[in-house]
Amino acid sequence: MRVHGQAAFVLHHRAYGETSVLVELFTREHGRIGAIAKGARRPRARHGNNLIPFQPLIVDWSGKGELVVITEAEAQGQNIALQGKALFCGFYINELMLRLVHRYDPHQSLFDIYGQALYGLLDEHTEAVLRVFEKRLLIELGYGLVLDHEIRGNSPIQPGADYLYIPDAGPVPYENDEDGAVKIKGRSLLALSRETLNDDAVLQESKTLMRAILGRHLGGKPLHSRKLFREVKYNSSTPRH
Amino acid sequence: MMPESTAVGRLIQCLRKLPGVGPKSAKRMAFHMLERDRDGARQLAQALQQAADCVVHCARCNNFCEDRICGVCQSPRRDHSLLCVVESPADLQSLDEAGVYNGLYFVLMGHLSPLDGIGPEELGIDRLEALLDEGAIKEVILATNLTVEGEATAHYVGELVRARNIRATRIAYGVPVGGELEYIDRNTLTRAFSGRSEV
Ligand SMILES: [Zn+2]
Repeated sequence: MRVHGQAAFVLHHRAYGETSVLVELFTREHGRIGAIAKGARRPRARHGNNLIPFQPLIVDWSGKGELVVITEAEAQGQNIALQGKALFCGFYINELMLRLVHRYDPHQSLFDIYGQALYGLLDEHTEAVLRVFEKRLLIELGYGLVLDHEIRGNSPIQPGADYLYIPDAGPVPYENDEDGAVKIKGRSLLALSRETLNDDAVLQESKTLMRAILGRHLGGKPLHSRKLFREVKYNSSTPRH
Repeated sequence: MMPESTAVGRLIQCLRKLPGVGPKSAKRMAFHMLERDRDGARQLAQALQQAADCVVHCARCNNFCEDRICGVCQSPRRDHSLLCVVESPADLQSLDEAGVYNGLYFVLMGHLSPLDGIGPEELGIDRLEALLDEGAIKEVILATNLTVEGEATAHYVGELVRARNIRATRIAYGVPVGGELEYIDRNTLTRAFSGRSEV
């Protein structure tokens, strides 16, 4: 099978042999695929320089099965030059994609969501970008999040009220704490629902909520890229993310 | 194919562990040594043996060396207030051979690669922190590769450095000497442009 002109991003890359590269691509029409770029690490390799994370690509490949062979990889515009904290966030997004999106499962709208998140990291509040991405990712993958009404009784979420969010189910009016459930304010649920995460309290609550929900889908294995944030924050006086 | 039970077969198998050596080259190397250069073969065996037994990591810079502290770290002719952080011994060697730098080094032996499970702990960044905490270093030059992983590593280490009120600098990007602009990739050009300097 030959595929031409497919929009793609590299989620992960790894040297293979002396001159080749193994990449995990996220493509617009074919979803996530594993591919090899032979000779891509030779000094004057035609497309080698382009096969890096955060570079919008147009890719051709041939073959099928576990590992297709990249025959062309052209940069489509500039590399999304994430730096510092935003770069760590980029790794985090890629790790989430690798952990939650299966191979050969096309997700055209997720492709756009992914691209928007990367560009968002360039100039928007990184934490807000991550929460919106996590929410949209879960919805795209069919895990549906209930954020605008109570799951018992269906009444709309009130900004001033407290709720208990039960992962895999949704919010119920808060009475007392429960194991595995997250206490959260109505205004935080609504902000996440409307994607208007613009104050610290809302961001902090959304982060706790999303972490609990993602934890269910990630199983017991922690995300490696989270370590970068934790330790930098602990050791330094950088602004809070 | 030589069976691995024979001495020749075993030799070929072992040679294949070298980077870039496939079955054909391994066979060629083995036969060459045995046919034409037995002395060379004995010297190679001895050199490998010695290196495998004696080479350790320098307690300060983490580079390969044979004593607890390497010659570079002990040299009184070097500037002990400068520390250059590199990914590999090969990077250190290139920099040192270029003769542009006369301070000390720290070799990470890799880079942060969170998606492969290589985080700050796996990279032994605590040893670099211990070095910084001694207080003699006034500037840290981050000379990790200009890849996304190298950038992430530079940022992470840079934060640790700045948190101790030590100056952190990053090597500059640019157009290679002798490079013609027409043939330079777009990302390099962009970086070279944003990092332009007064002439
Ligand atoms: Zn040393």
